[in-house]
Amino acid sequence: MREERKIRVLVAKPGLDGHERGARVVAYGLRDAGFEVIYTGLRQSPDQIATAVIQEDVDVLGMSILSGAHLTLTRKVIDRLRERGAADVLILLGGIVPEADVPALKEMGVAGIFTAGTPVAKIAEFIRAELGAG
Amino acid sequence: MIDPKEREKIEKAEKEWREKVLEPRVQRFNLPGSPTRFHSPLALKDFDFLEKVNYPGQYPYTAGNNPFDFWRAYAEEGARLGFRSDWGGAGSVGKYGGFGTASDYRDYLKRMQSLGRKGGPNMAFDLATQCGYDSDSPMAEGEVGRVGVAIDSFRDFQVIYEAYTGELDIDKVPSNFTINAPAAVIIAMYVALAEKRGIPPARLQGTPQNDILKEFIARGTYIYPPGPSLRLFRDTLVFCTEHLPKLNITSMGGYHIREAGATRTQDLAFSMAIAAAYLRAGVEAGLEVDRFAPMFTFNAFGGSMEIYQEIAFQRAARRMYARLLKERFQAKNPRSMLLRQPITAHIGCSSTTLQRTLNNLTRSVVGGLAAGMSGAIPGAFPPFDEPLGLGHSLEAVQLQLDASRILIFEARVADVNDPWAGSYFMESLTDESEQAAWEEFDRIEKMGGAVAAIENGYMPRAVARSAYEKQKRIEKQQDFVVGVNCFTGPNEIEVTINRCVEATYDPELMKTAEARQKAGLAELKRERDGKAVASVLAGLRQRARDPGANLMPNILECVKSEATLQEICDVMREIFGLAEPTRV
Repeated sequence: MREERKIRVLVAKPGLDGHERGARVVAYGLRDAGFEVIYTGLRQSPDQIATAVIQEDVDVLGMSILSGAHLTLTRKVIDRLRERGAADVLILLGGIVPEADVPALKEMGVAGIFTAGTPVAKIAEFIRAELGAG
Repeated sequence: MIDPKEREKIEKAEKEWREKVLEPRVQRFNLPGSPTRFHSPLALKDFDFLEKVNYPGQYPYTAGNNPFDFWRAYAEEGARLGFRSDWGGAGSVGKYGGFGTASDYRDYLKRMQSLGRKGGPNMAFDLATQCGYDSDSPMAEGEVGRVGVAIDSFRDFQVIYEAYTGELDIDKVPSNFTINAPAAVIIAMYVALAEKRGIPPARLQGTPQNDILKEFIARGTYIYPPGPSLRLFRDTLVFCTEHLPKLNITSMGGYHIREAGATRTQDLAFSMAIAAAYLRAGVEAGLEVDRFAPMFTFNAFGGSMEIYQEIAFQRAARRMYARLLKERFQAKNPRSMLLRQPITAHIGCSSTTLQRTLNNLTRSVVGGLAAGMSGAIPGAFPPFDEPLGLGHSLEAVQLQLDASRILIFEARVADVNDPWAGSYFMESLTDESEQAAWEEFDRIEKMGGAVAAIENGYMPRAVARSAYEKQKRIEKQQDFVVGVNCFTGPNEIEVTINRCVEATYDPELMKTAEARQKAGLAELKRERDGKAVASVLAGLRQRARDPGANLMPNILECVKSEATLQEICDVMREIFGLAEPTRV
């Protein structure tokens, strides 16, 4: 049986928010769910995230933002990805995201928003469905 | 403690109970074991009341720091007067907050004062400030004024304190600063302000958080590596001991560590290891421990919904800290041994849920009950809408206050000191909690202490692993969270109420905060004496190379010359280097 290429996920912490419990838990959980996961660690600039997306050749970018700067930072990251021709990656967001901001984020290109209480299994399911991996 | 004959009788009775009552029942229900536990006198081995518990206010303070707190002395009178404890006043600080530019925050504080809330500033800083960046740094984009007020310079600091003059001047009201990595700079600003106003700095009161080591394992707002960070802490400790005797030196505690996913044992052990590192820093600087330890405080430890365990934790924490000071640091002054914190047990903000948010009120009452039974005001913390974002609604705050008042005045839970003292269950649980923490603490000490256990990744990895273990337990329904992983079916309803979120974080002001702050910064740089700034920064750079030198006088000079927060921090970045984010 041919070995399937594992789906590759980058979990990133943009900006100065230092709360990484959620990002780490999602990273470990997706790894256990069979994905190849890289976690960037804290204090990533939009440039650093775009570079990592390209260098690590990931299928999914998951960002975690709890500081309230999600609209600014998500926009900046997506702009960088577009400039560098890498905006076809599946973009997910987690952290503290008020309901009111969801439409704007979806419009920017965020495919799914997963906040507190989401089982990691649900995120894994979403990724597989979106990438047509069954 | 039990007479041997009595012990034998009880052991015999237990054996019979297990065989004749417990086992048959477990079998009858076809279970692997009993879902409950019971503790008889057999659970207490060598229980010496005076050694293990003692009276409230007596070493080892298991039963509490004192027979009753300030709030309890006047609780009934406060009830008759309708006193609002959350507004500060009478020498305390107001509600934790901050946002926007210095003038936005000043105007907010003035608004609060006009509503009768005269507590001192309980300052939250934005992430740029907390991480040692100015508002015009590329690292600060999108973050300026968001989670707290932006402070780029002494000028900003002075603007905030335009709200505190006259009868509210800084020799009369305390200030809290939730600041860690650049705490030295903020403390210097506080001193500079006092000098400018002709107030002796020795009269300044308040609490800087100044607990940098926990940042590396929980909160993430560090700048320099752990070693130089501890050096800066030492500099603030010595400076405060010598010049600011009324200012608390630090506000430590495992609250953030537990919220990041640590277990109770890790929370307590890591907190004590960090406290030991700070105490050692003072001692190695040549100070008698009793000279500075009384100005060490704790912010809070973590919490959870398991109230028995949280009550035991608080008892164990008080006893462990007292023992740490007395036995390991040879403290003689009882005030050095006191674990001073504004709250005790609570549920932890991470126990609140986004789903069916009103349930968080119920949860917070459990925490309040635990607090009342562990030596603190029975505060129902946090307000139920905590998970919805910054800013609590008026409704949530009212419900929170009323829940606390009901616990105090109707349930009267705080009328008894340490009600669980002597309980077979609680005393054995307290002993186990303390013992597990000491084992972990000694493991860290063997590695070389808290700094070593951060640098080798031990503490950060442990916390990350615990967080993941907990998530797995939740996803497997081994741990239950109502409305999240159970009881989520179609017959459950979401109960909601209208919320009026108090307009503290004004979205219109937020939109322009970054631009206004940057404009102010540009103006500052145009107006100030650039040569003087360069000169004092050079002085700081020079002194920072000497690990034995205290940098506070230099930082104070820099602050007064209007060097910006980042300029000061950047000089130290050159000399100390940058912390590496921990890979787990």
